[in-house]
Amino acid sequence: MSSMPDDEQRRDFMRRSLTLIPAVSLGSGVTLTASAAEEPPALADYQPSFFNTDEWQFILAACDQLIPSDEHGPGALETNVPIFIDKELYGPFGHADRWYMQGPFITDGDPELGYQLPYTPRELYRHGIAAVERYCQQEHDKAFSALDAATRDDILGRLEQDKIDFAALDAAPLTAGVFFSFLWQNIREGYFADPIYGGNKHMGAWKMIGFTGARANFREWVEQHNVPYPLGPVSLSGERG
Amino acid sequence: MIAWALPMAANAQAADQGVIERGAYLARVGDCVACHTAPDGKEYTGGLAIESPFGTIYSSNITPDKQTGIGDYSEEQFARAVRDGVRADGAHLYPAMPYPSYAKTTDADIHALYVYFMHGVEPVNHRPEQTDLNFPFNQRWAIAMWNWLFTEDEVFQPDPNRSDQLNRGAYLVEGLGHCGSCHTPRGFAQQLKGFDASDEDYLAGADLNDWLAPALRGKGESGRGVVDWSEQDIVDLLATGRNAYTAVSGEMTSVVANSTSHLNDQDIHAIAAYLKSIPAHTGQAGGSASKAASPDKSDIAESGTEAKLASARDLSEGERLYLDNCNACHFTDGKGAGHIFPMLDGNSLVNADNPTGLIHTILAGAEMPSTPKAPESVSMPGFAWRLSDQEVADIATFVRGAWSNDAAAVTADQVAEVRKTLPEHSFSVSPGYRSTGRDQQPTSGEQLKGGAPVEDDQ
Ligand code: HEC
Ligand code: HEC
Ligand code: HEC
Repeated sequence: MSSMPDDEQRRDFMRRSLTLIPAVSLGSGVTLTASAAEEPPALADYQPSFFNTDEWQFILAACDQLIPSDEHGPGALETNVPIFIDKELYGPFGHADRWYMQGPFITDGDPELGYQLPYTPRELYRHGIAAVERYCQQEHDKAFSALDAATRDDILGRLEQDKIDFAALDAAPLTAGVFFSFLWQNIREGYFADPIYGGNKHMGAWKMIGFTGARANFREWVEQHNVPYPLGPVSLSGERG
Repeated sequence: MIAWALPMAANAQAADQGVIERGAYLARVGDCVACHTAPDGKEYTGGLAIESPFGTIYSSNITPDKQTGIGDYSEEQFARAVRDGVRADGAHLYPAMPYPSYAKTTDADIHALYVYFMHGVEPVNHRPEQTDLNFPFNQRWAIAMWNWLFTEDEVFQPDPNRSDQLNRGAYLVEGLGHCGSCHTPRGFAQQLKGFDASDEDYLAGADLNDWLAPALRGKGESGRGVVDWSEQDIVDLLATGRNAYTAVSGEMTSVVANSTSHLNDQDIHAIAAYLKSIPAHTGQAGGSASKAASPDKSDIAESGTEAKLASARDLSEGERLYLDNCNACHFTDGKGAGHIFPMLDGNSLVNADNPTGLIHTILAGAEMPSTPKAPESVSMPGFAWRLSDQEVADIATFVRGAWSNDAAAVTADQVAEVRKTLPEHSFSVSPGYRSTGRDQQPTSGEQLKGGAPVEDDQ
């Protein structure tokens, strides 16, 4: 391909005498630091995105009552469970984003058919909390959060057993049992889910039960019999407990 | 007239069809599509920005469009462009176009390529961005000088002392396959330091934008990578992007996706056989050490890493981070799982002198190409959002010294440098579980604070 005389010696000399061509450095971008170690918010400083002030008081009180702090481990308040529920309702779950939500809504079908009400979880919480607060006002003249522990327990027990008549409280077709099952389910989720979702602060719930967290593979332990697992849990964001 | 002319025309076309198909296949071997297609652009319409030490070079539209493509190229002009790097108007092409390797292409193959580009590719009228380099690199005539100094212009000559298979492999690798353009080290003027196995630098491994393109010289007792692999292992990697030891990442991913995974079995085997016939150097790039060559790294040391990780006691920071982040897929023995999770023990990328590729893989993750024989593109998640520079350095240092590996430690500053080159989204696009989507875009009817009635918010 060369149109120049092919003289090996000249070529060699030229090769050696050429100056170095500086290589450019590739790539540019913004320096960012990894954000894994963000400290979760303190519950007292948290501004709910979904719940209003009164609802928030109810959620705090209900969480405290259902998973109290005791000698076994941290309670739902210490582990930010209310924050988890607020975020959960603010996000796609709250909007029933992935549910089929068109009618007909057959509310007296078999329980095996699962949840059949026309409410998204957000609506369900809004109606449910309002109904319980109405009940507390009627029976005790106080907000749920202002009641003593024994009375709260009693009310939560009645909700669970579906013994409070939501229809009489203007909340039909929602029932006390359905509302309670959502509340209890979501509280447990917030307690045990990865901290990345807002609850289970510092993996308190995992430490209590000895769960090892998001390490995904423990193949090397299958053959190690009667050896206690030495490591604390690790979260999705890489936090260690 | 028309009545009897038709079958003739059909015949001519049938003959052409065979040549077109052969040309299409050769275009795969040459991987023309990789450089001549912009991201999101139409095939062969050019415009891909190629970073070079001289500035950004844009590839040309090589569809047969007469205005903006190569529709007016004669076969002779086409041959000059592909083999000699000379454009139809006589200007020299920048060697970003790998004509120094394509120079070996035979006339018959050039013919098939020409027929394919003229008749098998749709003409597309599209003028890609024009290359506009600064002085002195905009002086295309100077490339003639460079060519004269640094390239060879011989069409491939089969070696009568080699089998047909080895000759075929050499032709594909040295010529259209242009494997050397990444795997052969370059000299001070960006010239390749060898074009065939008679050069000892040929395929001896090179640093490609700080990413090791490992040595491909595969004949030897022991070493890392191809030296240790069987012919079939090489075939697997080229056909599917993965084998029992490793999976491709970095620039090799697109080579496999666009080129080698489309080659027929015979050609892939010829390539593998040829690579296995080139004598390896001890300590060649990517082969910093082999198990046998470093007695101080004995089996005890190897099982040492594994036993330490398995006991999970008295862990160093790097060991602990490995268990928390990497063990899920690469396991305590560093052997991963063949064809799914690469072995980190003995891995070329892990042991590369320059740790940039390893750091990049940890930060940004990696995804195997989807190929006809292995359509599933298994991927590794990026850890940029989760690990600090120091943590990445600790993990990298650990894996470079674990099992039989033996490479230098990595510092947080090195990690910070690589992090700067990542696109910003690698930090926000953390795995899906991180954000709920809605959080970023509240719907208009929604009151964020204080809880408006729900009924009106959807
Ligand atoms: C590694 C990247 C790369 C590969 C692979 C590649 N090319 Fe190119 N090619 C380029 C670049 C860049 C240019 C433009 C160079 C310039 O403007 O100096 C170019 C220019 C050309 C031209 C000149 C067109 C013109 O008039 O400007 C032709 C013809 C061509 N390539 C054909 C091919 C064929 C055929 C193949 C496959 C066998 C191929 N190229 C593979 C990068 C590549
Ligand atoms: C565009 C640059 C480029 C081209 C062209 C290229 N390679 Fe690669 N190749 C790489 C890089 C970079 C790696 C390292 C990939 C990694 O780190 O996983 C690699 C890895 C490999 C490996 C694995 C080696 C190991 O030890 O892990 C083989 C085998 C290989 N290439 C063969 C080929 C062959 C054969 C060709 C020609 C048909 C070719 N390559 C063309 C860039 C390239
Ligand atoms: C979810 C599984 C998974 C996890 C966790 C994981 N990897 Fe990977 N890794 C993969 C897969 C799959 C590949 C192959 C992807 C490719 O190369 O295209 C890979 C590739 C690699 C490679 C490139 C190998 C090569 O030959 O090119 C390195 C190095 C690596 N991983 C190191 C790590 C390190 C260090 C960690 C921990 C920070 C880690 N990986 C965590 C699955 C995983």
